[in-house]
Order: sequence, then C-alpha cells, then structure tokens
Amino acid sequence: MDYCLTVKELSKSFGSLSVLDDWNLQVKHGERLVLLGPSGCGKTTFLRIISGLEEPTSGVFQKDAVRVGFVFQEPRLIPWRDVRGNLQFVDEEQGDTGEILAQLRLTGFEDYLPSRLSGGMKQRVNLARALMIRPDLLILDEAFSSLDMKIKTSIIEDIRRLWLARGFSIVSVTHDLKEALLLADRIILLSTRPSKIIREIHVGLGTDRNPSMPGFLQLEADLVDMMCHGEA
Amino acid sequence: MKVLFRSLIGIGLMIAVWHMGAMLLNKSIVPTPVATLRYMGGLLASGEVVAAAGQTAWKAFLALFLAVLIGMPLGLCLGLSDTLYDVFRPLLMVIQAVPVIAWLSLVIFAWGIGWRGPVFLTFLSLLPISVLTTISGVHNLDKNLLEMARLYRVPRRKVFGTIYLGSLLPFAVAILDVSIGQAWKTILVVEYLCGGSGLGVKILMARMNIDFPGGWALTLIAVLLGLATERLIKFGLKRIFHPWITV
Repeated sequence: MDYCLTVKELSKSFGSLSVLDDWNLQVKHGERLVLLGPSGCGKTTFLRIISGLEEPTSGVFQKDAVRVGFVFQEPRLIPWRDVRGNLQFVDEEQGDTGEILAQLRLTGFEDYLPSRLSGGMKQRVNLARALMIRPDLLILDEAFSSLDMKIKTSIIEDIRRLWLARGFSIVSVTHDLKEALLLADRIILLSTRPSKIIREIHVGLGTDRNPSMPGFLQLEADLVDMMCHGEA
Repeated sequence: MKVLFRSLIGIGLMIAVWHMGAMLLNKSIVPTPVATLRYMGGLLASGEVVAAAGQTAWKAFLALFLAVLIGMPLGLCLGLSDTLYDVFRPLLMVIQAVPVIAWLSLVIFAWGIGWRGPVFLTFLSLLPISVLTTISGVHNLDKNLLEMARLYRVPRRKVFGTIYLGSLLPFAVAILDVSIGQAWKTILVVEYLCGGSGLGVKILMARMNIDFPGGWALTLIAVLLGLATERLIKFGLKRIFHPWITV
C-alpha cells in the first residue's frame, strides 16, 4: 500500500451541526501533510476520527499504520509521574527512554514531575511520548499553538531531524501559516465550518527551511492572499 | 515564625482563660492548668493511662483502616456506575444521618461491652466520608488522561493502576486527613458509652468517682494525643505522597 492514510467521502456531524463535509485525501508513506484552516473548522475532529477516538458520520478512511503517535494540543502528562514515567506509560515494551529524551533535548529532566517543566518542555515530553512508540504516523493537533515562535521553530526543527532519520508520516493541523510552511511537504487549505478541502499546495522548499528564506516569504504571502481573498 | 508566635499567643490566651475560670469557679470542679498538668504527670507516670491511650489508639486505627479498606473500593464502584450509586445512596445517607447514640443499643445487644462496639461505631461514622470522597475523586478523574491512554492502547490494568489509583490517591489522603480527628473523637465517645477499656472508659470512671481533676487531666491527655497523632500522620502523608498531593 502506497498510502499511509486514505480518506474517502468523509463527513462528520454532531447532531444538526455539520463539521466535516465530504473530505477526500491521501497521505503517502513518509509524507508531511499539514491541514491549515480557521479555528473551529473541524481540524481536531478530523484527527480524532483518524486516530479512532471518534466515528465518522459517513465515509471511510483506511490507515496503513500500525503505531500512531499523537501530540495533543495540551500536553496531557500524568502529573504524578516523572518525565521517564510518562514515556514508559505508553510504551508496552518499556524501552529505553534515554535516546528519545536526548534527541529532544530533555536529558537531565528524566526525574522531573510535569509541574516543574515549562510549557515548551511539557510539549517536548508530549512529543517524546508520541515518538516513544516508534510511530508509523505522527499526528500533531495544534501542538505548538501555545508556544512562542522561537520554541516552536526549535521543536519543529527537532521533528524534522527525527522525520529524516525515521521516515514516519506526519499529519498536522494548525492555523499558523509559518508553522505549516516550516513543517509541510503539502498543505491542504480548509474552509470554515462545515469544512471542505478547497485547495492543495505543494511546498517545494526542501527539508532545510527557515522563515527568512525568499521562497518561504513568498509562499507565506500567497497563503495569506488565498485565505484572505476568498480562496479559503 | 510569625505563625508560630501567633499560635503561642492563642495557646497562652486559652490557658489564661482556663486559669481565670478556675479562680472564679470552684477549684475542685475546675482545677487550674498547673494542677491539671501535675495530675496528668502523675497519671502518665503510673503507666495505666499510657496503656489505656494505646488501647484507644489501636481501636481508632482499626476503625480508620476498615473505613478506608471498605469505603474506597465501594466508592470506586459507585463512582464508576450510576446505577450502583443510585442503589447505595439511600443507605449511605441513612448511615450518615443516624447519630452514634442511635446505634448504641444495637451494638450493646450484639457485642456487649468491649472493643467491637467502639470500633464498629467509629467505622460507621467514617464510612460515608470514605465512600463519598472516593466517589467525588472518580467523578473528578481527568478524562483527557483516559483518552490519551485509550489512544495509545495502554492495557486496562496499567490504566487502572496508574491513572485511576493515582488520581484517587490525593482523595485517599484527604479521607485520612479528615477522618483521623473524627476517629479519635468518636472512639472516645463510644468508649465512654460502651467501651471495655481505653481513655474513654478512664474518663467515665473519673466522672463516676467524682474525680474532677482526673477527668480534666484525662481529657487533656486525649486532646493532646489526638492532636499529636493527627499532626504526625498528616506530616507523614505529605512526605510520602507529595508527587500526588502537590500536583
């Protein structure tokens, strides 16, 4: 199977409230897809459906991923377990946490309780927990929305390194243009609720990016234009 | 330091009021603090009161242990099932509403005078605290953590052991926190009414022998022991369970 995720005619309603309307998309193995849309358009609902936490109202999706790591918007760490304990909680094999903690610059914080960590570090632990299970598909649910640009860029750089080394697929949702452009191979633009897929953009910026690159700035301006002038 | 100083002022005021009361009233009915302390020293030196305090303490701890042992699993089940909660709620409300004295004749008929009555009645007075606090703990479980565990397909046993029990631990500490003082007070009353031994019985004997200084000294011993035990246990609980309590 070429695709890690295939979604066909997927819709979701909560009672009379229609949230997702006829979504069709595919994510290749190793691809990084970012869904970009306004707040409240159903991005998180889509992630909850593909991760098995919600049922679609109609339509189907197929996943060719045995292990799915999920980075929640809020860290959802167990407050009375230290960093190591939080990682081991999701890892059935009780593997070594040292490697992933080192890769995410958390070495030395193994014994810290979440209450002693900053917001950025909590999100790093949230990410480390998702990577601990060696996922085939990594889902990011506005995982960095509460962080400042510097920390956000630094964590996205860590994800990029790990993605290059491990080759997992990524599906991320955000309403932050810079975040989308730093992370994505392909961006899908969503309309307001009930959200539809209105446009796909292939981001040809290579893997090593930064927000001051000329191509980056041009794409960012194009995306703003699309979102502000009715295309999204 | 400021708090300690203020507390010492409060204690000093209490002793002063007591002393003035003793001066104004009949000293044989209300002995002065100094006379009471002297009497208390004599009682403690005899060893008999120490043994009685030990008997009261083990009964209080047994009742507390049983209330937590039975109350918490029961509270967990009732918290997880609305049906069970609806079934058991009237019974809990009855246990909570009926005063100790109402159970007394039943207990005396069942076990006579001895240790079982005080333990049982103290247990009954603590059980609703234990059950209702646990139910509240279950209702306050962080649903996001449960969803995270579901998403990562964490085995149920691990979820129960880590998230459920971990979430309930602060509530268990709260149960002990509230119940220690309650257990100590109830056991003394029930010993006084139907006990075979213990500080409550000693206070009863002092009253029957019209030994007012003895009654005051024994009451003071009971109060000091109760406070010391409560403080000690709370301190221990905070030290042992700080990751769960401080979160």
